[in-house]
Amino acid sequence: MKKKKRAVPWLYSAPALILIGIVVVFPIIYTAYISFTNMNLYHWNDFHFIGLENYKRALLKADSGFLSAIGVTIIWTVVNMVVQLVLAYFIALGLNAKGLKLKRVYKTLLMFPWAMPAYVSILLWKVCMYNTEFGLLNQLVTALGGSKMNYLAENVPAFFACTILNLWMALPFMIMMIDGALQSVDGSYYESATLDGAGVWQKTWYITLPCIRPIIAPSAIMTTFTTFKQFDIVYLLTKQKGSLSGASIQTIITYAHQNAFVSNNYGLSSAVSILIFVIIIVFSVFTNRGLKEE
Amino acid sequence: MTRRKTKNLLRLTFLNIFFIAICFLALVPILYAFTLSLSDGSSAFGSGLFLNPKHVTLENYRRILTEEPFLLWLKNSVILSVGTMVVAMGFATTASYAFSRFRFKGRMKILFLLILLNAFPQILSMFAIFRLFKTFGLLDSRLGLILVYAGSMCIFSIWNLKGYFDTIPVEIEEASKIDGATDLQMLVKIVLPLARPAIIVTAVMVLIYVWNEYLFATTFMLSADKYTLAGGLYQLQANDYSRSWSLFTAAAVLVSVPILIVFFCIQKYMVSGLTAGGVKG
Repeated sequence: MKKKKRAVPWLYSAPALILIGIVVVFPIIYTAYISFTNMNLYHWNDFHFIGLENYKRALLKADSGFLSAIGVTIIWTVVNMVVQLVLAYFIALGLNAKGLKLKRVYKTLLMFPWAMPAYVSILLWKVCMYNTEFGLLNQLVTALGGSKMNYLAENVPAFFACTILNLWMALPFMIMMIDGALQSVDGSYYESATLDGAGVWQKTWYITLPCIRPIIAPSAIMTTFTTFKQFDIVYLLTKQKGSLSGASIQTIITYAHQNAFVSNNYGLSSAVSILIFVIIIVFSVFTNRGLKEE
Repeated sequence: MTRRKTKNLLRLTFLNIFFIAICFLALVPILYAFTLSLSDGSSAFGSGLFLNPKHVTLENYRRILTEEPFLLWLKNSVILSVGTMVVAMGFATTASYAFSRFRFKGRMKILFLLILLNAFPQILSMFAIFRLFKTFGLLDSRLGLILVYAGSMCIFSIWNLKGYFDTIPVEIEEASKIDGATDLQMLVKIVLPLARPAIIVTAVMVLIYVWNEYLFATTFMLSADKYTLAGGLYQLQANDYSRSWSLFTAAAVLVSVPILIVFFCIQKYMVSGLTAGGVKG
């Protein structure tokens, strides 16, 4: 009887765990295995072990491009998160202003970019906004007397183009989270602070921010991870198969994808994938600990 | 007093203008795409945001539905999303119930492992999956893609549903046990009906995920008759003719409308569902 009882939870979870084991865990192990071989287009079947060569190539040789991809990814994450948090904070603050009757309408309208399928949004921006000939941006520029430019042809403008698109897609979620957090702050704090003669800045610094920090921390961390792992925007805007736009910005994930599916360096790509996985694990263990302590 | 009133009025006017501008910025790409989808070839790309009423036409929608294999893509997307939903929810419901109710050896370890796996971007093992599928002849097969989607969605669903099962009091189940219900009876007649809202929301999120997925869909589905909506749209915009771009915008509108409707129906659950699983260790 006792023995039967012990098997029950395993029976219930076996189908899910087996499926996850086959299509999620095993491919990761297989990726780790490939990362120690010289598998590429010419060695599709007759590959052999080369030890840590792929890892050395990724980490020690500057021309492999992985180190600069890490740099770009860090800059990308920091820029996006800082701008996103600041903008979302002020927009949410505006939404919570007293007497704003149309708040619900604005909130619903602002939610649209979040609700759209991500790939549709990115392709729409590529075709309707950034396109050199017909894009809305260039129509605006020519109407104002400027000359057309290709926003995705060079690295710096393309980086900004990707950042703006990412902000457009990610801000709604952040605004809603901060808006919810702001509503949970007890109004009496502000009243007594006002009586004590605190100014706007003091109230923000000593009441609002400490109160909303624990509430928005989980979503801020989650967004940091998604920003760090962002692939779709850079890939669909600049690196689509057959229509490279000219810019060569690589984040670590597009770098891994490029090496696997374009330049066919499967070994190197797998080594990079494992490195990224390790980075993500370290980050999440670190942030989980930080959140628990708070 | 009146001065304060005018000041307040000014402040509100300014705020409203600010928010109208922000909303406009948020909606411009969507509105522009919508205008393009309604304009005929001659006025497309050039008239800017404002639609010339003389040129309003549903021609693009007619062409996307009749001249392009849009309905075939739709069928493929529906098969994939429903298939994934059935597999992922079927497996995840019982598993999450087990993780919520039973305390067994290895439980915490598996839950922690699932969090880590959830943090792993599946693109990174896409080549490994590709090679494995090529070996086993699962490339270009709907079953293969459903398995890939269902695997990653299982992880998400287990965490999402476990959080909800945790909130259902055990006493209800104990009471039904005393009344003589078997395990299975209890699960089907008591627990599942109680968890129905969570199950529906999770299922819808799985549907949305598959509907919105393009990378695996375009990499693994090689023959044109297996393209999903994502693959089809991708093809349309990759063609460098402006004619197919207005077709593309019409298709984009058609693909987004159902998602927008579903999203706004379940949006209040979206926030809690998204944050529930990821961070609670």
